Amino acid sequence: MLILNWDDMGTYIAKRFIQGVVVLLAASMICFVIFQYSGDPALNMVGQYATFEEIQDVRKLLGLDKPVYIQYGKWLFNALQGNFGVSYRSKVPALGLILERFPATFELVSIAVFMAFCIGVSLGVIVALKPNALINRIIMAGSLGGISIPTFLIGTVLIMIFAVYLEFLPAFGRGDTIQVGFWRTGLLTVSGWKHLILPATTLVMYQLAVLLRLTRAGMREVLTEDYIKTAWSKGLAPRTVIFKHALRNVLIPIVTITGLQFGELIAFSLITETIFQWPGMGSLLLTSIYETDQSVIVTYIMIAAFIIISANIIVDILYAVINPKVRYE
Amino acid sequence: MKKSRNTFLWLLSACLILSLTIFTSSALAGSSIIVAQDVAPRMMNPHGDDSDAGLSYFANFFDGLLQRKGSTGELVPALALKWERPDELTWKFYLRKDVKFHNGNSFNAADVKFTFERLIDPKVSEFTNTGKSIDKVTIIDDYTVEIKTKNPIPWFANNMHQVFIMDKESTEKREFSDVFEKPIGTGAYKLVEWVKGSYIKMQANADYWEGAASIKDVEIRPIKESSTRFAALVSGQVDIVNGVPVELFDKIKNNPKLHIIQKPARRAIFLGLGNKVDSPTADVRVRQAMYMAINEDEIIAKIMRGHASPAAQIPDPPTIGYNADIKRLAYNPEMAKQLLKKAGYENGFDITLTGPNDRYVQDAKIAEAVARYLAKVGIRVKLDVKPKSIFFPELIKGILDFYLIGWFDGTFDMGRTFSKLAHSRDKEKGYGAFNGASYSDAGVDALLEATADIVNPGKRAKALMNLNKLAMDKVAFIPLHYQEDLYAVQKNKGITFNPRPDRWIVYKEIVR
Repeated sequence: MLILNWDDMGTYIAKRFIQGVVVLLAASMICFVIFQYSGDPALNMVGQYATFEEIQDVRKLLGLDKPVYIQYGKWLFNALQGNFGVSYRSKVPALGLILERFPATFELVSIAVFMAFCIGVSLGVIVALKPNALINRIIMAGSLGGISIPTFLIGTVLIMIFAVYLEFLPAFGRGDTIQVGFWRTGLLTVSGWKHLILPATTLVMYQLAVLLRLTRAGMREVLTEDYIKTAWSKGLAPRTVIFKHALRNVLIPIVTITGLQFGELIAFSLITETIFQWPGMGSLLLTSIYETDQSVIVTYIMIAAFIIISANIIVDILYAVINPKVRYE
Repeated sequence: MKKSRNTFLWLLSACLILSLTIFTSSALAGSSIIVAQDVAPRMMNPHGDDSDAGLSYFANFFDGLLQRKGSTGELVPALALKWERPDELTWKFYLRKDVKFHNGNSFNAADVKFTFERLIDPKVSEFTNTGKSIDKVTIIDDYTVEIKTKNPIPWFANNMHQVFIMDKESTEKREFSDVFEKPIGTGAYKLVEWVKGSYIKMQANADYWEGAASIKDVEIRPIKESSTRFAALVSGQVDIVNGVPVELFDKIKNNPKLHIIQKPARRAIFLGLGNKVDSPTADVRVRQAMYMAINEDEIIAKIMRGHASPAAQIPDPPTIGYNADIKRLAYNPEMAKQLLKKAGYENGFDITLTGPNDRYVQDAKIAEAVARYLAKVGIRVKLDVKPKSIFFPELIKGILDFYLIGWFDGTFDMGRTFSKLAHSRDKEKGYGAFNGASYSDAGVDALLEATADIVNPGKRAKALMNLNKLAMDKVAFIPLHYQEDLYAVQKNKGITFNPRPDRWIVYKEIVR
């Protein structure tokens, strides 16, 4: 979609916002349908030796004895007032439980995406300039590995090498953290950074490879364009030509992908989090699925959908900032 | 002016001395330990989770009226000094004096009454079963409590190590969410900090009625992924891990820095069968044939890699009702075929084996092996293994043909085990809730019901042993094996750790 000016941008964002609400509704409805087939939460919270009657009592307490559309309606009514229910498993509000874990995930993913973006784009540019150099061919081949090796394998191998054999970096957890207001951060301690290296590297691998290949492809195409040739022939400094004229035009798809990846990783980096016992939202989701903790699962899906939709909208706004066509209107 | 300077100097030196004592005391007596456990706590409300993993955490912050000690699981006094059963329905507990909760409140009979009355509320309790069996809790004096049950419950006291006593005053006063996150008990440890998903830090209670625990600072790191737990141990980040997977046993055994502990676990893994009229398994000969067709030794050697011991019955040796005279039916596929022929199933039959794939050690693989063994005698088994969250709701409906399950009873009394697993399903009386294939035998039911009012421990054991024998003669279940718990400990750190049979890690029992 070509956006012509800031007014159109406003309507566009409003439209996207409405779409977002529809997506949230649909996602929550699907959750409730799936819950009908995903096990009985009452059984997980009634104790090992309960009788039928006691299980039924708990079902009543949770409202699970009602038809699914009534359960959904009740949930929606409460959710609209900001009340996402109480975790079946730990009996505290589900939203708080998830948000408590948000800083850990956010820090991990931000660092990982930042690293992937810097390294991926720089390598992409280098590779595009001299595609036939041996080292660049090796980088390209390596990037295939980054795309195709599954996260759990990368994580486990990194742990084996750096934590078990070299005893160089910690194998799990977040290290020492400091509470700053509501935000518990690991970025202010040496131990926190040490703990961040392995899980962040695991997340970076795939993202880096994708961004590298994307940058390379874009740069290769742009570098053959007439205006770049003109720029070279005008005798501009290579830095100006490469970064200002060429890279800028390649950046749009790269920013799009980075933004989408960011949203997706925040919501679903559960494999990496589980392998490294990273106390983020993903590892909470996995436990909740195992325990049929439906109120946490549905709240999580809502937050995930919200983050991904927001990331999309932010990417759209960034378009306008980067894309010269929009600027010049 | 001079005076204030003196005060200042005095304060300064006081601070110095204080910090010095703190420093030296932490350097001398301050032993600490970091442990990686496989399951994270759900909450800190001691009645809200009755799983062994949850109780393992609570047992450090709270005490029950009674406790089970050490590697044998012997039942000994805790907050109650002694207990008696004046009649079938009445239990009388004499309480310990001068015990204080972590917040300084004194422990007395009102706390006990409050605790037991709290058990019935499903909002805060998974012990509704225990709570509802109680008719009335009477405070006789500050340190004597009488509990009357609705029906005779012979194993009532056996369970008192699991019901943790809470402080009435602070529990009533505090917000719901506070009670669920901050434990205030009488236990050997006080919670310092719980960062969910990261760690639980606790400190020895200096005023503990049994004397302060040997290890002053404990940090528990819940790590779900077994390979990560292993990495944390090998890299020296933690001192003890539980739940070592059988695949990693040799690796740890060969590591000179580590020591592995094998503890026979209480849980028996077994197969349940139905005997609905007209179903093939209604015939006892068919059930015997299925029993004989399974090569349990091979399952232990190949699938459990030696980390299990064969079971001939459901209860484990320390349980009342365990009968050493019961022997396994020997593996004999030829005899199995003959029995099937006699029963009229020469050409076998079709049956579905249902089981969980995320509950017990190697559960899905055991089910696959059973299916293969039965195929060799002509029984065509359809395998239906699924996550426990889906399997258990099916189990409690009682609609399965044939299922794999594990059991160990917190009460150490086979009476409860059988009332859940073996008695005919009876919703009103609460029998047979986990009798997944609706097995029903009038003889078993009658014998079990007759044990309900046997008080005398000797007589009770005898009656339950008879019942056990009868059930196994009729092949109400096909027992497979007892699991083994595996722990690993750093070798040269001076840690003495004897695991308990119930898989709880009670830190006052660990010495360093």
